[in-house]
Amino acid sequence: MKTPDAAGIAPKQMPTPHRASAFWKSVLFRHETLLLAVLIVEWWFFYTYGTTTNRRGVVVGFGTWDRQFDILRHSCEIGLLALALTPIILTGGIDLSVGSLLGLCAVVFGHLSQAAGLSLPVATLLTLGLGALAGGLNAGLITGFRLPPLIVTLGTYSLFRGLAEALTRGAVTYTDFSPSFLFFGQERWLGLPVQAWMFLGVAVMIWFLVHSTTAGRSFRVIGFSPEGARFAGIASNRQLGLVYVLAGIIAALAAMIYTARLGQAKADAGTGYELFAITAVVLGGTSIFGGKGSVTGTLLGVAAIAVLKNGLATLPSVIRMNAAEEMAGLLTGCLLIFVLTATTLSGSVLARVRRWTLRARQTGASLP
Amino acid sequence: MTLRITRFTLLILCFALQPFSIGLAAGEKLMVALLPKSKGNAYFLSCKAGAEKAARELGINLLFDGPVDSNAAKQNEIVENWITLGVDAIAVAAENKEGISTALRKARKQGIQVITYDADALADARSFFVNQATPQGIAHALMDEAARLCQGTGEFAIISASLTAANQREWQKHIELRLAEKYPSMKLVAVRPCDDLKDKAQSEATALMSAHPNLKLLMAICSPGVPGAAEAVKQAGKVGRIKVIGLGLPNENRRYVKEGVTESVILWNTEDLGYLTVQAAVALAEGKLKVGMKRFVAGKLGEFSIEGDNILLGKPFLFNKDNIDRFDF
Amino acid sequence: MKRYAREISVLGVLLLLLCFLAWRAPDFFQAQPLRSLLTREAPALVVACGMALVIMTRQIDISVGSQFSVCSVVAGLLAAEGFSISVVTMLAVALGSVLGALNGFLVAALGLPSIVVTLGTLVALRQGLNLVRQGEFVNLPDQFQWLGQSQGWGQNALLAVAVLVVVTLSWTLRHVAVGRYVYAVGSDGEAARLSGIRPKRVTFGVFVLLGALTGLAAVMNVVQSPQVQPLSGLGLELKVIAAAVVGGVAISGGRGNLWGVFFGLLLLACVSPAMIHLRIEAYWEKAIQGGIILLAVAAEGLRGRNQA
Repeated sequence: MKTPDAAGIAPKQMPTPHRASAFWKSVLFRHETLLLAVLIVEWWFFYTYGTTTNRRGVVVGFGTWDRQFDILRHSCEIGLLALALTPIILTGGIDLSVGSLLGLCAVVFGHLSQAAGLSLPVATLLTLGLGALAGGLNAGLITGFRLPPLIVTLGTYSLFRGLAEALTRGAVTYTDFSPSFLFFGQERWLGLPVQAWMFLGVAVMIWFLVHSTTAGRSFRVIGFSPEGARFAGIASNRQLGLVYVLAGIIAALAAMIYTARLGQAKADAGTGYELFAITAVVLGGTSIFGGKGSVTGTLLGVAAIAVLKNGLATLPSVIRMNAAEEMAGLLTGCLLIFVLTATTLSGSVLARVRRWTLRARQTGASLP
Repeated sequence: MTLRITRFTLLILCFALQPFSIGLAAGEKLMVALLPKSKGNAYFLSCKAGAEKAARELGINLLFDGPVDSNAAKQNEIVENWITLGVDAIAVAAENKEGISTALRKARKQGIQVITYDADALADARSFFVNQATPQGIAHALMDEAARLCQGTGEFAIISASLTAANQREWQKHIELRLAEKYPSMKLVAVRPCDDLKDKAQSEATALMSAHPNLKLLMAICSPGVPGAAEAVKQAGKVGRIKVIGLGLPNENRRYVKEGVTESVILWNTEDLGYLTVQAAVALAEGKLKVGMKRFVAGKLGEFSIEGDNILLGKPFLFNKDNIDRFDF
Repeated sequence: MKRYAREISVLGVLLLLLCFLAWRAPDFFQAQPLRSLLTREAPALVVACGMALVIMTRQIDISVGSQFSVCSVVAGLLAAEGFSISVVTMLAVALGSVLGALNGFLVAALGLPSIVVTLGTLVALRQGLNLVRQGEFVNLPDQFQWLGQSQGWGQNALLAVAVLVVVTLSWTLRHVAVGRYVYAVGSDGEAARLSGIRPKRVTFGVFVLLGALTGLAAVMNVVQSPQVQPLSGLGLELKVIAAAVVGGVAISGGRGNLWGVFFGLLLLACVSPAMIHLRIEAYWEKAIQGGIILLAVAAEGLRGRNQA
């Protein structure tokens, strides 16, 4: 969905910090900086007003380590999906099917490890394979037929969820997982929730892929200009295939973490997660038209949403209204539009300021 | 309308004035948290009404929050929220037994009293279950009423909430068991999900009626499904020829019951369920309710019997043309 | 003929399905249930037409489901307060236009990507509604259903409105300058701008129109039953986008027509009743719908390849 008239997106410029002031200006007006500020304000606000002492004299609420770990634990699955979506959106694509794929992988994993009685490593490998296969289906349709990703994944969004329901006839719920598996979703290791380590690992991997490999660079080129990518000799199809297959594998991993956290696998797992994941990525400053964005931004986006959602649930007034989830949804929607407007406007303001100073310097130079 | 707007403005104000409000725990009041399966559902709204009545009488703080859609993952997150808030007791209607039990065990470890109502969790994750009616009881009541209306023979179809909801599956299973065991000449021709949407239930019911010309009865086992099915029967002009029954609230079905479209609606008194749940949770937190007791006195409602660790509310109730006006929830 | 190959192929698939039904389940063709089916789908058709225009200009609006819910509930509350049907309709359309204008402003004037903007309004409107209503049903006054007329009259009136919307918009798209602008902006915004069209105004206009049509559709749905459920319209966006895409509107803009959308919606709407008539279990429904969408886009892709 590349609109020529979406001129609001600031033209991409290579960061050329010739001078210290220019460097600071570029840092100050970066999307990530704005988001970090939002995150700090959120955190400070909830820390101040969401922490109380209860009847038994125990400090409770937002400002406890337990709460912070809960936030981390709750945001791992959506965070993983957001990480998976970042390279895809960088290429100018989108994947609406990740939430449904999470559901499909969860029930298939449940079936393999419970009903079929396979050992944990085998079931894990097969599930990851299924994720790769499903991602491959998306990639095949998108590259093989040159179809818009939005529509292909809209189709697979229904298809994967439908298969999950058909396989379980809607009814089967897999439970009774072994403690050694539940360990991955409910326990801590070296101080942090176990799944946080996996999330961290995937984050580092994706960061490395996007920011310091030629493949990562080519994602941006494809997103910035598919034609240009072709002329530059980039094998677009192979790169696109890579990002969608990768997303499938990560969705499968998220499915297993989800299963381990809840101790159950059911066909409705991950319903609606794709929306939150896309919101997080876009909030993180990745342009939906492709070509621009960062993994750091995505991580900040996930954090901003997770802190907002969990923090609201600790505010006494929101609790009294019994409306934590609705408030969180309402504010997330508004935050998304606000951050988008702010960066777009600040981008164009910045460009204008730059033009002015340039003109002033030129006229100044021409004077004796 | 104006009331809603006032409420909304108040909420925004509350949020804006956050820094000036004092903490929840500032008072010495007990804090009880009630978790529904989905909070917009009229069923749980009426539980909440009863719960609030009990909270007023006992002078405690009541929290009522849950997912908007029945979602097991969100239920866990809300319980974990409450654990860090340090509430005194949690009462849960579990969407999924095993799923919620991990969170509930964690709550008990931190000294929070846990009971369940409406749908049970695993036995080691809670102290008591306020049992409104067993899945068996509900299924039998529905199936027996269906058979009575059809004189024990003919085709019927079920409209359920979704193919994945745990309670729906449970009821459906027991309906099928009862059918096989007692009514061999009745036939279940289709089960269609309506996603808890009334409009979809109406479309599904319309198609069911035209696909199965011999259909004698529609049974909706989710509350938005009953008025949806009734409207479909009415629009098809088949009032009387095709009967509608289901699980639902009197207020949502009153007009159809009175018009004779919906034959009967089955439900227990949901307000009493909420009331009893809060009474039991408070008694447990104050140490007045203990394992092994045979009776429990719940405020104005009087005495309830306890079987093992189940506090029994009573039998499901059948609302029909004759008695529906006596109820308002 | 070749120009309409895509629309004709959708019609072909629809006819194929109907023939199969005529063979395997002739019960499907009964006047009353069919009319009921069409009336139930009429609001979705009206929204789908608006959506098709938005997609033709290379934008998308995924917030229509939430807009639909908000308009339905407000229309229901107004009706319960005793306003007449015409006033309720006008206010609902006006409210829809305002919601559409909000999206349109953010997309056209500020140049924000439409999928993200409407993702934001999708969540914000839905949760805002939940916050205020907490999911409670709205009961309507008795004389409101079927516009105060008999059921048959009401159903015919709703069908007439839907057909009128399709015919008018379709004619406008083909024969009026504004209609051609929509295609022009969708095919190449820059070229359109250079030839004197103002792409931003056209984009803003289609969003407002979609909002207004959504408001109208909400009323068309509200008058079909005596109660309004705030959840109504959940998932509507996917249904109408799928209808548009199956009906041959190109997601890359500039191509498609409303007759295709009409057939696409009918095809998708027939899946669920067809499954009931063919005695296929409900578990397969979503998978089948996903399959149809994928087939439709694959057909589109093959066509594109052959032409290239």
